[in-house]
Amino acid sequence: MSRLWSLWARLAALLLVAALAGCVSGSAGTPTASPSASELNDHAAGSGYSGLGLDPPQPRPQFTLTDTAGKTFRFGTQTAGKPTLLFFGYTTCPDVCPTTLADIANGLRGVPETVRKQTQVVFVTTDVKHDTAAVLKSYLAKFDPGLPNRFIGLRGTQSEVDAAQVAAHVTLAEDEGRTHSSEVLLYGSDDYARVAFLQSTNQAEQVAHDLPLVADTK
Amino acid sequence: MGAVRRLPLSMLLAVLLVVAGAAGLVRGSIPSSAALSAAADGTAGPQQPIVVSGGYVREPANGVSAAAYFTLYNTTDSIDVLTAVDSGAGAQVSLHTDGMQHSAGLSIPPHGSVSLAPGKGHVMIEKLYGPLKPGQSVNFQLTFAQAGQLLLTVPVIAIGAPAPTPEAPR
Repeated sequence: MSRLWSLWARLAALLLVAALAGCVSGSAGTPTASPSASELNDHAAGSGYSGLGLDPPQPRPQFTLTDTAGKTFRFGTQTAGKPTLLFFGYTTCPDVCPTTLADIANGLRGVPETVRKQTQVVFVTTDVKHDTAAVLKSYLAKFDPGLPNRFIGLRGTQSEVDAAQVAAHVTLAEDEGRTHSSEVLLYGSDDYARVAFLQSTNQAEQVAHDLPLVADTK
Repeated sequence: MGAVRRLPLSMLLAVLLVVAGAAGLVRGSIPSSAALSAAADGTAGPQQPIVVSGGYVREPANGVSAAAYFTLYNTTDSIDVLTAVDSGAGAQVSLHTDGMQHSAGLSIPPHGSVSLAPGKGHVMIEKLYGPLKPGQSVNFQLTFAQAGQLLLTVPVIAIGAPAPTPEAPR
């Protein structure tokens, strides 16, 4: 039963991500009574996670981008074995991206120090034109004060960023990166993502609850 | 980033006088309560057709655009529509719901409410006139099809700090 719910939650979440994706688009829309992320997350009960259970788990993806220091960053190898939160967005996104990054930071502030020290946060910009290394660095510095590990900002060519999204199984961003997936993937110390997060009012609490579950506590 | 800029009161009054005839909106360190009462804001009493609560602007991390959130309560027996939003904080203001730009206006059902919240909708302020920092307030002029114009003053809330909770009118 719980597996069935998990599958439904996953399917519903994918639809929601597709519908919610991103912050801006040019066309008009009207409010709809679609289920909220927190409602969907209730259906993930039984997985033990507050976030959205991923079944089957997704392996930590391999993709190569460039960090804000201009150095090559191989996601799969350079974050291997560490709890890692991966999120795609862009810096001029007014709503979902900054809220999500602030929620991630607040979630991290709510976990034990041993977990916080292991955890990496990786933000990949989907706006390859506007988000230069300097813009990305300055943006992320607004969210990570006081945390032991700085948020890692990654960028690349359009094809590199597309490849990263495909590797991470998120909806491919469109409209010059402005319409993008709002999913945050959490890879554990075992290099699998068993849970993901969508924007919701209790996202910080979800992150704080689930991070210790996937971290290496030995 | 630079320190929070606070206008001296005299300059603020002068600025207010200057812009009052034009836009009627100014961003500055106006105490929220004073601005609210002076503006006869929707929160002033239960007689107001539209009551706004829980309003805030999230401190922008990018320095170029900001998002404002609030809840609108329609206390009347008929539908009303938020048709336009102007702000003293930036040159370009638009309403977004469900991740999309909303050109047709936002309907508030009779005795119902509509909340703009992260992931659900926001007022997007672009071409900011200056930095928006916690401690500052931002003025908005909301235009409704039925209720007319309403001046709203909301605080800038720091990145990561909790948002104000909307309160339904009694």
